Amino acid sequence: MNIRIALAGNPNSGKTTLFNNLTQSNQYVGNWPGVTVEKKEGKLRKHNDVTVVDLPGIYSLSPYTEEEVVARNYLLDEKPEVIINIVDGTNLERNLYLSTQLMELGIPFVMALNMMDVVRKNGDRIDTKALSNSLGCPVVEISALRGENTLKVAEDAIKEAQKGRRTPAPIFSSNIEKVISYIEEKAAFKCSESEKRWYAIKVFEGDQKVLEKVKIENYALSEIKKEVENVEVEMDDDKESIITNERYSYIERVVKTSYKKKSNGLTVSDKIDTIVTNKYLALPIFALVMWLVYFVSVSTIGTIFTDWANDGVFGDGFYLLGIGRSAYEESVEEYGTAESVVNAFGEKLGLEAVELDEDSLEDILLSTEKDGVASYILQDEETLSEEEIEVTYTELVESVDILSSYNYSEPEPEEYGPWVPGLPVLIGNGLEAIGCSEWLMGLILDGIVAGVGAVLGFVPQMFVLFLFLAVLEDCGYMARIAFVMDRIFRKFGLSGKSFIPILIGTGCGVPGIMASRTIENEKDRRMTIITTTFIPCGAKLPFIAMIAGSIFGGASWVAPTAYFLGMFAIITSGIILKKTKLFSGDPAPFVMELPSYHTPTVKNVLLSMWERGWSFIKKAGTIIFLSTIVVWFTSFFGFAADGFRMLSEEELDYSILGRIGSLIAWIFYPLGWGNWQAAVASITGLVAKENIVGTLGILYGAEGSAYAGISAAFSKVAGLSFLSFNLLCAPCFAAIGAIKREMNSAKWTWFAVGYQCLFAYLVALVVYQFGSLFTGNVNVLLLFVAILVAAYFLYMLFKKERKVGV
Amino acid sequence: MIPLSLSPQGTVMTIKSVGGKPEIKRHLESLGFSCGSQVMVTSVLNGNVIVKIKESRIAISGEMARKIMV
Repeated sequence: MNIRIALAGNPNSGKTTLFNNLTQSNQYVGNWPGVTVEKKEGKLRKHNDVTVVDLPGIYSLSPYTEEEVVARNYLLDEKPEVIINIVDGTNLERNLYLSTQLMELGIPFVMALNMMDVVRKNGDRIDTKALSNSLGCPVVEISALRGENTLKVAEDAIKEAQKGRRTPAPIFSSNIEKVISYIEEKAAFKCSESEKRWYAIKVFEGDQKVLEKVKIENYALSEIKKEVENVEVEMDDDKESIITNERYSYIERVVKTSYKKKSNGLTVSDKIDTIVTNKYLALPIFALVMWLVYFVSVSTIGTIFTDWANDGVFGDGFYLLGIGRSAYEESVEEYGTAESVVNAFGEKLGLEAVELDEDSLEDILLSTEKDGVASYILQDEETLSEEEIEVTYTELVESVDILSSYNYSEPEPEEYGPWVPGLPVLIGNGLEAIGCSEWLMGLILDGIVAGVGAVLGFVPQMFVLFLFLAVLEDCGYMARIAFVMDRIFRKFGLSGKSFIPILIGTGCGVPGIMASRTIENEKDRRMTIITTTFIPCGAKLPFIAMIAGSIFGGASWVAPTAYFLGMFAIITSGIILKKTKLFSGDPAPFVMELPSYHTPTVKNVLLSMWERGWSFIKKAGTIIFLSTIVVWFTSFFGFAADGFRMLSEEELDYSILGRIGSLIAWIFYPLGWGNWQAAVASITGLVAKENIVGTLGILYGAEGSAYAGISAAFSKVAGLSFLSFNLLCAPCFAAIGAIKREMNSAKWTWFAVGYQCLFAYLVALVVYQFGSLFTGNVNVLLLFVAILVAAYFLYMLFKKERKVGV
Repeated sequence: MIPLSLSPQGTVMTIKSVGGKPEIKRHLESLGFSCGSQVMVTSVLNGNVIVKIKESRIAISGEMARKIMV
């Protein structure tokens, strides 16, 4: 016989843990309510014909939350053969409320009493036999966490299922029971005997959905209504509350005989809460925890891992455990500086290129005056900023010595420690060895390996972050964060938990977006996902530095402005979006059970970390992979003077991407930078934001310094507009992949990206047009449009929200 | 009768009535906020409160706490 066992119970009572144990699967278990929204199915171990269904955690069968709807529909429509009601022994009374409703369904029923170890530790006592007697169903003490008695409860459930359905026992006081029987008789339900009681109670409560379904004759219905009204008058309460109170008083009678509570004082969790959610301490404690998470996962360990993955595994290579790295780096720098010094003097002597060998260096030394000076340009690798350095004859002598000590060839990494070459190097060597054609090598190395690297490079850092989030969740603090930050973020249409994604987003938007998973409310989560990448991430920093350095002469206000702009975008977007149809209504008042604090379990934390990390690699990977290949192809192929061919890095002007850039450049004309170079740079920024720096470097650096080229091409106002647009517009493909993963809907992903681009465009437009007022280049029509945009923006910002009462 | 939001911290009170829209009232009742239940406010933060009811801790917003009379 095929049996379906439904696991039902309150949120956070251990259903998923029991489910994992019974089916030997690895579902992620969270220490906050609402982890399971959809039901999950699995085969009971050792019983192939038995299916276990894990229902979402619910407080009752009245459909209030999404979870309750899913659970109720399953139980009513699918009619599983038996229910295991998992009950948290430490909160018996509240858990029994759901039990009284489940037992009414007429479905065979077994109670699994969980967390008995905690009950005993608290010094409380539950008499399982007495409980079983008064409830009239089997009650089994289990420990879902340690797998004690779990198979027994399942086997008891199978036995109950074989006995078949039965009519539930009356539990209300006699005057109510009289009306219930009256309804059963009058309504003449066309259902099995065992279901009649449930329908009768629903009719008593006046449940609209049930009334529509059962179609009671009009005269019968009016008589039933009269009876119910009589009871309402008699008990001076409304019909729903009457039933609720009847349930609680029944539970009270049950608990009286079977439950002995030792203390009435505050539990450890209560005591922690009085500190953690204290009026004065809540925010400092929160700030400290956030600082710790940020410090470890973004600025220290996380960065080490990301650099290792990006520059090591997917770069030139890395030293095992970092042994020899600093020695190698020092040597490289020493050698590089020496080379620049020698070149500087060589150039002064009019040499085109200096041969690095003993003889030519000797020549330079001999022909340079003892008091001669030369200078060279030092370029910063990340931001391409330049600095002129003066050197003297003494330094030239030293440099020549240094070069000779290196035998006139660059230091090789292998000589300094256990060097592991990066994947691109290994694959490149392999392809060269088999004589691979140039374009295929380009596709594989610059397209595929670089694309996959862009995805996987963030994974180690994400794992570190997810580990932290898992610990915060598992110990119970995450639920408190929502409470502590709720007031502040609620104003912007965000959840208290939105703070974490935004904070993480300052490091990298990808894990930031993934961190939004902890927000239960769908609207809050979507809003957070859309706004998280407004805050400048680590990859945007070189770009910000470049704009500051080239256009604003290194002004120190540019970087803070970028962060303020990000926060401004988040807050205003929150306020405005909340007033649109998509996000308005349903200001679900904050009601949330706070789980008990407990020490996180290693297994649970690792599972949660793995589940999130893996789902990112799997689902976000594809979109990133494909889009990087497309961008690679369009930037390395194009129509040069000698026809369509593959281009070198310096020939970006001829590429397909360059053509696209020229085609779309007009779009950015109102923003003040309608040239194809800026358009192309914005597109390459989609692969990774730091690419903007590289692209601008190539496009403007062809003749002399890139910084000079950029500052010639952009006015200050246009630079600010260019910066605003690229900070706020669609994030890199990796982040878009994460958005797609978290939104789980193509429509919402497009909405997010579209909104971000539109918002960025309008902000840049307003910045440029208003800025131009001061510089005097006013285009009346565009200024008018900008004024309209700004006015609409302010109108949306201060418009009264449509109030929906509680 | 005073609203729960004004109830003194750390004192056990008895719920007298639960107001609000029917579905929210029902949800509160299934969480244990029914007439006659004992409730204690353990923390107050910016108007939101954490209460202890039937052995569990529930955080509720100030606007809802104002609709529960004790």
